[in-house]
Amino acid sequence: MTKEVLLRLESENQLALDDAQRDEIVAFMDAQNAEFEKLNAIDTENVERMVHVMPILTVVREDVMQKNFTRDELQAGAPETMDGYWQVPRLVE
Amino acid sequence: MNLYIDKKDSAAAKNVVVDDMILTKDLATTAGSKMLEGYKSLFAAEVVEKLEGAGYTVSGKANVGELAIDLAGESSYFGATEVDGKLTNAASVIVKNEDVSGAVVLEVNGANMRSAAFSDLVLVKPTYGTVSRYGTIPAACSGETVSVMAKTVAQAHELLDTVAGYDCKDGTMHADEKCALIKSGAEFAPIKKVAIAKSLCDTADASKVDAFKAFLEKAGVEVTVVDAEVLTAASAAWSALMCAELCNNVSRYDGVKYGYRTKNYKNIDELYTNSRTEAFGMLLKSAILYGSDALSTSNYDKVYDKGLRVRRVISEYFASLFAEYDAVLIPVASKNEYTMADVEADRYISFKENRFTAPAMITGLPAVVVGGVQLVGKAFSENALLDLAEKYEKEGK
Repeated sequence: MTKEVLLRLESENQLALDDAQRDEIVAFMDAQNAEFEKLNAIDTENVERMVHVMPILTVVREDVMQKNFTRDELQAGAPETMDGYWQVPRLVE
Repeated sequence: MNLYIDKKDSAAAKNVVVDDMILTKDLATTAGSKMLEGYKSLFAAEVVEKLEGAGYTVSGKANVGELAIDLAGESSYFGATEVDGKLTNAASVIVKNEDVSGAVVLEVNGANMRSAAFSDLVLVKPTYGTVSRYGTIPAACSGETVSVMAKTVAQAHELLDTVAGYDCKDGTMHADEKCALIKSGAEFAPIKKVAIAKSLCDTADASKVDAFKAFLEKAGVEVTVVDAEVLTAASAAWSALMCAELCNNVSRYDGVKYGYRTKNYKNIDELYTNSRTEAFGMLLKSAILYGSDALSTSNYDKVYDKGLRVRRVISEYFASLFAEYDAVLIPVASKNEYTMADVEADRYISFKENRFTAPAMITGLPAVVVGGVQLVGKAFSENALLDLAEKYEKEGK
């Protein structure tokens, strides 16, 4: 793991670390990658990916509205609202 | 020590706590994160509805490590929980010391299994898809499982009976007749043959496994030590898959619609970035970045895709074991106790300790923690595992 790659990952994940945190995370990721590389000893070329751990078919239910919330309820936990909208900084300069 | 994130006075006969990864309407839910400090959900998790429908009162929310990926709750923004200087998560402390029927928790990376083992409690992590995850805070959806923790096997089984069952709001559930297989009264074949996973025992304090092995032999259960080297691959594979899923799941926390919002911003990018940076702890940030890297174009095949293939290899290995044995005995942790000094020396210790819990997490197989060890069984074998756990409770202690 390089700091350049880490900076890109930070940006993509909307995080901003300081240098000491970057050093710590690079060491963590290097350790994880080293552990993961050991898995290359397991031949998985002809092994199918296992996304779902159990053979569960996608469940489809009736397209009937069960429950709904009001705008006020949905915005009750919002950090800032204005006139019934979520308030954010100006997006278009 | 902050055991509860929120609680209410209850004079009810049957009190239960749920951990802070499970949504409640009248009590706050934080997932152990500053991001959700004081957050109240508009709806309760299906398991809470089921508990209340069965006459339980949810009397409190047990503190958890941030997004439940740590060793034993130490990464919570609201503080770690320790007993006599030893780490163990809040749910285990409450179940051990208070008058509650037990705790219903979301198991993600072994924190509950370890805490149950440290506190000599019983924990059942049931077969994936038998208990609804509707209304739980999503962390690593392909393996995380609502689990029950209690003082006794009987209490754990009663709680499991209450929360298990089909829920159409969770698209990863088994049909109700399958869920019924794990409830009391369903027919099961008693456990007669147990395999001990040598590869995992070799890196753990052997005392608990040895004691359980002695009980098994005395109880007439045939015990065989198997190499089980492939199970050591579960830790790295589960860590990668868990972090990849976590990275996506926590992308919803952006400081706009709910949760923490920074005061330090001039534009929308700074609002997002500073809110997340100020609210998330280091362990979670590290997990997000590792998961994001695993999903990146250059690593997708060699990490994420490989992790999914290794999951099948481990699953098939378990299936081969279950052709000969009824359960696999695995340690829960490498030591019988941990302190804050351990996690201060290595913040990422849960990514090493999960080598014992990852085999059951990555495969979705049921695991019962009792006597400080875990028994992993084939899917829907909870009754058989609990039957053996109950015998241990009566004869093995």
